[in-house]
Amino acid sequence: MKRHHWVVRVTHWVNVVALIVMVGSGLRIFNAYPAFARRGDTFCCYPFANKAIPSWLTFGGWLAGARNWHFAAMWVLVLNGLVYLGFIYLHGEWRDLVPRRGDLRDGWEMFKFYAFARRDHPRQGKHNVLQRATYFALPVVGVASVITGLAIWKPVQLGLLTDLLGGYVWARYWHFLSMVLLVVLAVTHVFMIFAVDPYSLTSMITGNYDERLSPEERNARPFYHLLPPRRTTNAKASGETQP
Amino acid sequence: MRRRRFIELSALSVASALWLACDSEGPRSARPALRAAERWNEKVERALFRHRSMDYGTAALAGAAYPKYFVSDRVPVWNEAERGAWSLEVTGLVDNPVRLSLAALQSLPSVTQRVNHYCVEGWTAVVEYTGVRVSELAHRVGMKPEAQYVDFASFDSDYHESWDLASALHPQTLVAYGLDGHLLGPGHGAPARLHSPIKLGYKCTKYLTRVEFMAERNGGYWSDRGYEWYAGT
Repeated sequence: MKRHHWVVRVTHWVNVVALIVMVGSGLRIFNAYPAFARRGDTFCCYPFANKAIPSWLTFGGWLAGARNWHFAAMWVLVLNGLVYLGFIYLHGEWRDLVPRRGDLRDGWEMFKFYAFARRDHPRQGKHNVLQRATYFALPVVGVASVITGLAIWKPVQLGLLTDLLGGYVWARYWHFLSMVLLVVLAVTHVFMIFAVDPYSLTSMITGNYDERLSPEERNARPFYHLLPPRRTTNAKASGETQP
Repeated sequence: MRRRRFIELSALSVASALWLACDSEGPRSARPALRAAERWNEKVERALFRHRSMDYGTAALAGAAYPKYFVSDRVPVWNEAERGAWSLEVTGLVDNPVRLSLAALQSLPSVTQRVNHYCVEGWTAVVEYTGVRVSELAHRVGMKPEAQYVDFASFDSDYHESWDLASALHPQTLVAYGLDGHLLGPGHGAPARLHSPIKLGYKCTKYLTRVEFMAERNGGYWSDRGYEWYAGT
């Protein structure tokens, strides 16, 4: 079954590259002054001040190189994001991702299932509630990172925006925090793909997804039931043909 | 088959992630694209530019915590015995080029403004500069209409940075000789420096000796070394 439209697949992988470049170059830029305090001032809320990010996590080589990448890749990120959001709006996929009533309860059920406090995988549609929350949060945080990024790119010409975010120092902090949140969401996403539903990786490349291999069908928890239950699937298939 | 493909794909993605994250400047072939992005960004920045956009430093002055950057090996100090009295040359596409002594500069109408200093590294400092608007100088020397760029050159090695005219004529762009109520110290560009909150710190030439109005841009110390030329805030 076709799960992902080619527009979604292309924007997804473009986004992967753009995000890696943005985060890597952003961390290299951050390393030029790995703190938030205004000179001669203190900052309340960053315990790792003046500790550089390990260079293997950074990209761009030096401050100017990283800035050039950052200010080029930002256009890729923004345009790609607009194409994606425009597409899922016009094509209706946004309905699969927005929060629904009962999400909290369903989220609790998913949590119980992952914690072995519940035997069977809760019923789900295309995505389970935790996935939906993640895929909804990612573009929201992405927009936040763009807005906070604009505020520190042009703190004078867009001074109103920068002031709204609490001034340059705070805007820079929100920009950093939105990056952290994006990374946490993306890393969790990749982890869960490999640990629960590696078959969805194929679906993000070819677009095809075999529903018989879904986590719900496999009753899959992280690292549990990664392979399809062959016998059960057969029994079910033959069971369906019986009167 | 599916598993094999899966392993291949994972290996590929890990390898590409490692290649990207190795603290390099990235593939050489990307440079034309990066240059194109910088040219595009300059257009966007020029479109965003407003003479009315003013900056105000609202916090306490950074004072001694305000870093002192220069490119020479030692703090550049104007040696009067060697070079004679310091003066500021205002020249180029102007009707009446002048050479201003420090006293002459200080006698011109001045502005004192508390603003942010935005460093390319990501820090800011609240500073209070006193000086003469570049627009005031342009008016006094009779800038010609052909002038589109302004170069600000210094005696700190070969340091200079050229600006677009609009930014140079912004009311907060000063040839400053005072900082935080004192005369500029040698660490901050004495006797005079360029300062403005509307461009990053490296565009604000310290140890200023020449202001030249030009028809073409001529780059700059850091902008020739890979930093963005426009660098507006």
